[in-house]
Amino acid sequence: MTMPLLEVRNLAKRFVGRAGRDQPLWVIQDLSFSVADGEFLTIIGPSGAGKTTLLNMIAQIDVANGGEVKFQSQVSPLNDPKALSPGLSCRIGYVTQEDNLLPWRTTLQNVLFPLEVQGRLDAVAREHVAKLIRAVGLGGFENHYPHELSGGMRKRASLIRTLAYDPPVILMDEPFGALDAQTRTQLQEDLLRLWNLGKKTIVFVTHDIGEAIALGDRTLVLSRAPAKIVGEHLITIPRPRDIRGIMMHPEFAGLYQRIRAEVQ
Amino acid sequence: MTVQNTALDLDIRGPSPLRKYGVTIGRILLIIALFWIWKFGAEAAGPLYIADPVKVLQRIITDTESGALVRDVYVTLRLSLIGFAIGCAAGILLPFLLRLVPRISNAVEPYILASVGIPKYALIPLFILYFGIDDAPKLWLIGLLVFYPVFIAVFAGIRSVDNRLINMARIVGAGEFTIAREVIWNSLLPFFFAALKISLPRAVSAAVIGEFLVGDEGLGYLIEHSRQNFDTVGVFVGIVVATALVLVLNTVLVWADKRVNGWRPVERHMEL
Repeated sequence: MTMPLLEVRNLAKRFVGRAGRDQPLWVIQDLSFSVADGEFLTIIGPSGAGKTTLLNMIAQIDVANGGEVKFQSQVSPLNDPKALSPGLSCRIGYVTQEDNLLPWRTTLQNVLFPLEVQGRLDAVAREHVAKLIRAVGLGGFENHYPHELSGGMRKRASLIRTLAYDPPVILMDEPFGALDAQTRTQLQEDLLRLWNLGKKTIVFVTHDIGEAIALGDRTLVLSRAPAKIVGEHLITIPRPRDIRGIMMHPEFAGLYQRIRAEVQ
Repeated sequence: MTVQNTALDLDIRGPSPLRKYGVTIGRILLIIALFWIWKFGAEAAGPLYIADPVKVLQRIITDTESGALVRDVYVTLRLSLIGFAIGCAAGILLPFLLRLVPRISNAVEPYILASVGIPKYALIPLFILYFGIDDAPKLWLIGLLVFYPVFIAVFAGIRSVDNRLINMARIVGAGEFTIAREVIWNSLLPFFFAALKISLPRAVSAAVIGEFLVGDEGLGYLIEHSRQNFDTVGVFVGIVVATALVLVLNTVLVWADKRVNGWRPVERHMEL
């Protein structure tokens, strides 16, 4: 493996107790891992394990209290929220748990929003966005407002909003968590297809073991808070993968058992 | 089975005409009734206290033809709108500036909220003392009356903006100005329009009151001047026209609100 693109070393995060009544709570302590360029890393952990906090710190919308996050040999600031650079100049995209679409913008306007603020909105970009919209089955819904879309459609819109401006790294925080199984599988397939086209680096957080195996090149298992890495698994199931049939793959059951034993 | 049949019949025929136009007919009847109560009151109380509605209408027509009333409406409208614009601008800008300096914002917030309690009309003599007898004291009054609802709505609106949307915008590369204009401004528009619906009628009221006291033009002057000449018809003309002015301005506002906030899932318009 070459030099990692993203490196998390001895990371720590503390939540301050309420007005001195509670002890400060360490949600993450001494967490280290690295992500290679072009890798699809999945991170799995029980709820409350600080998964979202971890991604927030990588995306620099939350500040770490110890250790470091290094991206392309650039180190995140510690303890000082003002010194943060959210998204690291559009190099780290973030698909959050909620879709966070702007409710007053239509689907198309929402997907174009990043390109618009980055001043990159030209005919080529519009063409690219139109393709993405069709690729995830949102064709015909370009002029609908978010509240007129289903949950799955909003997720798709939020996903391609990030893909549209093409950041080299994308963080995903249980993006398909609140969806029904059918829509979810569909979106996982969409995501893998789009990832195969661009080969981005993806850090995908989930609490679904099956999803972690089906999507990732490698899976990290986090413990309960304070979060530590308790397991690491290379997933060698060849790509392109058939999400619907992945459970039948001979490697799946063994991986599932081992990861499940670690997730507590 | 009978119940089912009735329901079916209704479905086919749709609502009866009486149901469909019932409300409109009721409204028209109510207006006619009010008109007659007014007319009856005028006859009972005498023309010095309550002007005859027919005479009021006639006066409105003749004064509109002569141009005198048009001039008064123009003067009051102009004053109201300028004061309204000043109050709005201040009420919008100040919260956005305070947002940039949270410490100062927290420090001054209780004082600004306490100053809401100052009865603004009580300041008129001071405004006349400071700013003379032209438009300036009236504009101060109108501006202040408009400023407070707008300021409070925008201030509260800014605080209630979904932080996740702001974070999203930051991550995709939006600067502070873009965030203010796109995320915060759009989030607080419903609050803003609620405030406008309170402050627009206030602006006209304040202009009329200002004209009672200072100046020799406008609807307020018309009302007060007519009273001094025992011209009750003139007083009523002023009141009716001022009311109509507020209603027209409000219609414009409701229309603008529908255009701007049309994306909202449920229309919750407070039509004052």
